[in-house]
Amino acid sequence: MKSALILFICCLSTVAFSQSKKKVQFVGGARSLISHMSMDPGAADTVSRRKATGGYALIDLGFKINPNAQTEILGMIRINNEFGGFWGGGVTFDVRQLYVRGVAGKILRYQIGNIDYKLTPYTFYNNDLDLQMNSSGALGIKQDVNRYETFYTNNNTWRQQGAAIDFGLAFPKVVNEIKFNGFITRLNPTNFANILERLYGGGNMIIKQSKYLTVGLNHVSIFDLKETAVGTPAYRNNVSTLTAQSTLDKDKWRLKFNGETGISTSGLVEDTSALSDYFINASVSFELKDHGFKASVGYMDNGADFRSFGAQSKRINYNNVNSMFDRYTNDQVQRTTSLYDIYNDPNYYNQSISTGIAAYNPALNNVLPFGVATFNRKGIYSTVNYQDKKKYIKLDATYYRLSEVRGQGTTELKKFDFAKTKLDVNVSEMLAWKKRQTVNVGWSYQATNRAPSPFGGISLTTQALQIGGEFELVEDLFLIGNYSYFISRGNELLAVRDGNDEIINFSEYRINAKEGYYAAGLRFNFSEDVYLSAFYEGNSNNDNEINPYALNQVMVFYVMKF
Amino acid sequence: MKKYLLLLVVGSVLLTACRKDEVDQIDGPSLTDIYGEFNIFTPFAVSAPAVDFGTGETVHFTAEFSKSVDWEIRITGQTSGAVKVISGFGATIDENTSNWIGDITEFPIFQTEICDVELSFLNEPDVFAETVEITSPKTNDGFLVADFESGFNSGWSTFVQSGANMDFQIKSDNFSPEQGSYFNMAGEVDWDYLIGYVYFDASAYGAAHYPLSNNADNEYFNFMLYGEPGLTNTIMLFQFTEDDNDDGNHNGSNEDMYSLELIVDWEGWRLVSIKYSDIPCLVNGQPAAPNGNGVHNPDKLTSINMLHLANPVTGFAQSKLDYMIFTQNGPLRP
Repeated sequence: MKSALILFICCLSTVAFSQSKKKVQFVGGARSLISHMSMDPGAADTVSRRKATGGYALIDLGFKINPNAQTEILGMIRINNEFGGFWGGGVTFDVRQLYVRGVAGKILRYQIGNIDYKLTPYTFYNNDLDLQMNSSGALGIKQDVNRYETFYTNNNTWRQQGAAIDFGLAFPKVVNEIKFNGFITRLNPTNFANILERLYGGGNMIIKQSKYLTVGLNHVSIFDLKETAVGTPAYRNNVSTLTAQSTLDKDKWRLKFNGETGISTSGLVEDTSALSDYFINASVSFELKDHGFKASVGYMDNGADFRSFGAQSKRINYNNVNSMFDRYTNDQVQRTTSLYDIYNDPNYYNQSISTGIAAYNPALNNVLPFGVATFNRKGIYSTVNYQDKKKYIKLDATYYRLSEVRGQGTTELKKFDFAKTKLDVNVSEMLAWKKRQTVNVGWSYQATNRAPSPFGGISLTTQALQIGGEFELVEDLFLIGNYSYFISRGNELLAVRDGNDEIINFSEYRINAKEGYYAAGLRFNFSEDVYLSAFYEGNSNNDNEINPYALNQVMVFYVMKF
Repeated sequence: MKKYLLLLVVGSVLLTACRKDEVDQIDGPSLTDIYGEFNIFTPFAVSAPAVDFGTGETVHFTAEFSKSVDWEIRITGQTSGAVKVISGFGATIDENTSNWIGDITEFPIFQTEICDVELSFLNEPDVFAETVEITSPKTNDGFLVADFESGFNSGWSTFVQSGANMDFQIKSDNFSPEQGSYFNMAGEVDWDYLIGYVYFDASAYGAAHYPLSNNADNEYFNFMLYGEPGLTNTIMLFQFTEDDNDDGNHNGSNEDMYSLELIVDWEGWRLVSIKYSDIPCLVNGQPAAPNGNGVHNPDKLTSINMLHLANPVTGFAQSKLDYMIFTQNGPLRP
């Protein structure tokens, strides 16, 4: 057996972090923002305030301690000072991060406290922001700040509090290796009265049979601990999936199959009518290595009752309201959430997984509002990726042609089209300039249609364009600029759900919205992780046709990470 | 490698093909039900023009609509004024959704009479009318303690204080919720909570114990109680004395007595039903441990003591009582 089984630590090199490091390091970041915002709600509005000025300075100071080669402890505090808030008022102290991680017995890697975690797109996954296409320039700075604030990573992880472990086994025959990952986090504590302790746990086993085939078994569960409250029924959301990846890798091309299928159950533990359904998602991709070209086609079928809240939670909480100019007009109507607000207002962002179907904005994302794990969707999709050898341009394009699995209120199914493209143009490389010049373009189109019926059809289209550029004028000084345009028109029937997420009615949704945005300014990079930027931006919005408004803002950011 | 790819592709296709056909299923309420035009496909009808509830017959109603709606059938006795309401949501009214056994929703109880039947809708203006004749009213299984239709049982014992405006007697008038008579209790006693009482001894029915089963979870005590408009000071106390040692008598010092206390703060007739095992033991109105075996024994019930009480400072108190009956397997459906 000894010869047949070799224990190993996956990525051991990355966790044997402290061999050459100091025992105590300071890590963190600092940021300062000054902004002046003005709103033009129209001449008829004689009630609303029109200008606001604010800002803050904050520092995140972390102590990374390596008591030995196998252990790392991080504690980070935040000191935040609202401008004008000296002498105690407006100053806050918070614990921002806390974790211990390391390797136990040279076998088991663990992390306790804050963990950034994900499994698969159908089990545990932090889906990208609605209509997030290509952010650079001023929008890139805001996105960078929002991600830092919310612990979102480029890797689609959720920041959770709990514990995680992983370890691996290597075999000389039959299979190459098996990796095990496990986690447990706390979603909400009990109130010792009527709210049960809710945990989220799971893990997976990834079997790499050979360089051709990798198979994974994944399971996650959101569950209540019984008897941590009195008289409250316990809830469960269990998701089990099987992933498979098969690769045929040649010198000039690569053919790859990717697939995931699984089942979910969701409901009260003792409720026999708990929702249960399954999904399948499979794709085949072909890559021409020498040409930087890759294309794939796939098929997905997510059951109408498939529920996996670890993968269906949204980054944006659309139930939140604006923290800036939240009401306007003489009637003080509530200003609806715009794309601009999503980039501008950190209050919209979720930092935890929500149990239950999250609110969404059909104008921003009606096709896959809960990511690729969105329930009640089936159809085909394809992707194209291209990057030329000299890296002048990089193109990513995705197209979904989907429909409902089960009709809502009618047997007639909605049809969905969703196309999105990102294009990065490296102008300086293209023109052989020494100064860095980049242009990023993102375009997104969504359409929802349902055939006309005696009660009217459904036709909702959304189109968004984002262009951003960064142009180096002199060394490390960049001219930054953005232009974006968003338009959404049509109608939809939105499901009204009860406390058990069952559809009890439909509400008519009509929109004829346009939103424009531009920004221009400068950014000076002191180093890779330190910059100062000042820009002016304007936003016009007629989401509410009767009450269009415009927002303008001057922002000065100083950002440092260390 | 090829076989892996083939296996995965074939497996994916098979899994996809396995999805059950959901073409005919919908999520949520039908749009037709929400936005469709309302029409009557099958007219409103009664399954029989006359019904004999006394022999166990039932009657139901039928209708069919173009869409699901909230509907309500209101049956009103032309003589008694009794009301039965049956409601539901759907596109069809049939025996499953509208079967009527002769029971009521609002007092009084139906008599032998002709009833008006009206079908109406929550969000539609249409109203349809029919009639149905009750040839004999519904009878209720169970042990009848008192309905006061045959006068005062000589086996019952009673005491009435000598207060003001005392009126403890059986009355026969339109107030009666069941048949023609009820027991009226009224008076003002400014020195004591007790206004009057009636003890319904088992001996009045020819036995030492009430003829009930020994399953306290299966025996239900029911009665109809009237709250006088404008008066909320009546306290009704029902005491259930048991003969735990089977000596034929209840001894309060070492045998169980359970008590049901009600503050009559409502107006009009109300049906009160309670499972025998849910009746608590009270001492001075507070829960206490029983003095006997501590087990609810309906088969050892020797007497039901009904006391009409009121705080002496609150003045005149009045209520009415009718149709005291034990039922099995569930509360009374009059």
